[in-house]
Amino acid sequence: MENSSLINKKSNRKFKESDYYNCSHSEYYLLPFKFHRINATKEILVNEVGDFIIVPSGTAETIISKKLLKHIDEDLYADLISNFFICEEKVPALIDILATRYRTKKSFLDYFTSLHIFVISLRCEHTCHYCQVSRVVQNKDVYDMKISHIDKGIDLMMQSPNPNITMEFQGGEALLAFDKIKYAVIKASDEAPKKNKHITFVICTNLAPITDEILEFCLSYQILISTSLDGPEYIHNKNRHRPGNNSYQLAIKGINKCRESLGNDRVSALLTTTNLSLDYPNEIVDEYFNQGFRNIFLRSISPFGFAAKNSKKNKYEASKFLNFYKTALNRIIEYNLNGEFYREDYASIILKKILTPFPVGYVDLQSPSGMINSVIVFNYDGKVYATDEARMLAETKDYTFQLGDLDVNSYNEIFYGDKAFQFAEAWTNESLPGCSECAFQMYCGTDPVLNHQTQGDIYGHRPTSVFCQKNMEIIRYLIELMDSNKQIEHVFRSWITGRN
Amino acid sequence: MKHEIVGNMLTVIVDKETYPSDVLYKCFYWYSDNYNVQIFPLDHFNYKVTLQCKVLEHNFDSILEKIQQDLIDFKLRDIVAKETRTVRELIIAKAFAYYDLADNPSTEISDPVGFNPDII
Repeated sequence: MENSSLINKKSNRKFKESDYYNCSHSEYYLLPFKFHRINATKEILVNEVGDFIIVPSGTAETIISKKLLKHIDEDLYADLISNFFICEEKVPALIDILATRYRTKKSFLDYFTSLHIFVISLRCEHTCHYCQVSRVVQNKDVYDMKISHIDKGIDLMMQSPNPNITMEFQGGEALLAFDKIKYAVIKASDEAPKKNKHITFVICTNLAPITDEILEFCLSYQILISTSLDGPEYIHNKNRHRPGNNSYQLAIKGINKCRESLGNDRVSALLTTTNLSLDYPNEIVDEYFNQGFRNIFLRSISPFGFAAKNSKKNKYEASKFLNFYKTALNRIIEYNLNGEFYREDYASIILKKILTPFPVGYVDLQSPSGMINSVIVFNYDGKVYATDEARMLAETKDYTFQLGDLDVNSYNEIFYGDKAFQFAEAWTNESLPGCSECAFQMYCGTDPVLNHQTQGDIYGHRPTSVFCQKNMEIIRYLIELMDSNKQIEHVFRSWITGRN
Repeated sequence: MKHEIVGNMLTVIVDKETYPSDVLYKCFYWYSDNYNVQIFPLDHFNYKVTLQCKVLEHNFDSILEKIQQDLIDFKLRDIVAKETRTVRELIIAKAFAYYDLADNPSTEISDPVGFNPDII
């Protein structure tokens, strides 16, 4: 240690007397924050970087009216100062910390597009009534992706600035074009090291066509399998009809086969909620648990493709879905409180935004929106779309979100073209009516494609938006649950850390 | 806040100075699902807001209290937005600026163990 003259005469680090810190006046300045009533007695304050405080109703008014007295509400005052809701200078001394945290929240933008969806075939042997894909049953030459388009799609994918990319094969039923998947995976794997890319491969499949040869290939290239499981057999088969009415048996058989060959953590299942599902939340949750899954994604159906045409079966009010969601969520929480780790994925995504400083990779809950920024779709016919839902719209002759053509357009023309700039006007919730003032803004996102499909324009109308209604209530409910029961908060935190 | 109910239309008169147009539009935006809303200046001091229910028969009693509460809430949000606008812009500008911090933060406190970051 150098000599003590380095501790200069200005001052030292010893704490001052307590009087130094106790000021009699309560002059403070507001920092950016929003508020929302979460129930009859409490409201939530959320600052610019997503930190929150739950306070009694009326507290926001007290704070904003500058009626908060430091010597009376000492704890609240300290919480507000330390969490950047108010400060005692016009510009907070730690503004750079706030800026860094804001940047962290938006850091999913740093590397641009990561998920590249290849719709390898539109063929499928199922006839799911909610099909969002408008699948066909035959004509391989027309409805399978051409080799030339695969090559061009891979070439565009390698031009992404993101060093970590995901190549996801969808359909129809992707495995019906397994030869094309093989070609694409081998080619992309060869190209990746040249461009310093790390690729993750995913195949979305109903598992009916799965064979040992396919599994061996998936093992070699560490391909993840994403399949569908709509709940117990009577729900799954009703939703996902195929000749022989054995979709459920094939799915379960396929899931087990994949687990044996690839490992438990290489297979995931997705639930599609239908009108039928709404009556069986607990049964669906129990089915996933009994099949060995320790996570479930409770998602509502999107109004695209066949789903929109089957409005009697699939059109339901957001409130009915919310009742289903809350019942299922409480069932899942019950498992956790009984010692079993079992995670609800949609809640986990939102909780990560609420409880951590980090962004999420889920494209439907990002602002700016995940379309183009996080995901791009190369369709079987060579057309390029902004999102998965955008290509489903195209099957109904709506090409609003078609960005280009692999045979015609360059990377810049597709990713930075006029359409991309047009969508950019509506893809940040910070600038949308209703969202700009919302306390849950930092926890939510935007979906211009859904707005267009359900409301007729990419901006949307929040009072009648199912996206808004669903997300606001789920976020409110999660916060209310955490506030009302510390054990539930502990469960939720375990979902983020992955540790029970 | 004065109000009048005629048939399926509610008319509300609000003070311009207390509730500027920004506040009114943001507040009544959320009523546009169930009501046809119109906002226009009544005179130098007031705005007139009409809410015409989209269903024929409607009881406005429950909505009046909600309107009063919502107006207050959006007024408070407006106060925050106006007071914090500069700081918010500064946070976002700093968040996305590309610069290196060349200077050490200025402070009265020297380091008691003699660490001098300038020699690194």
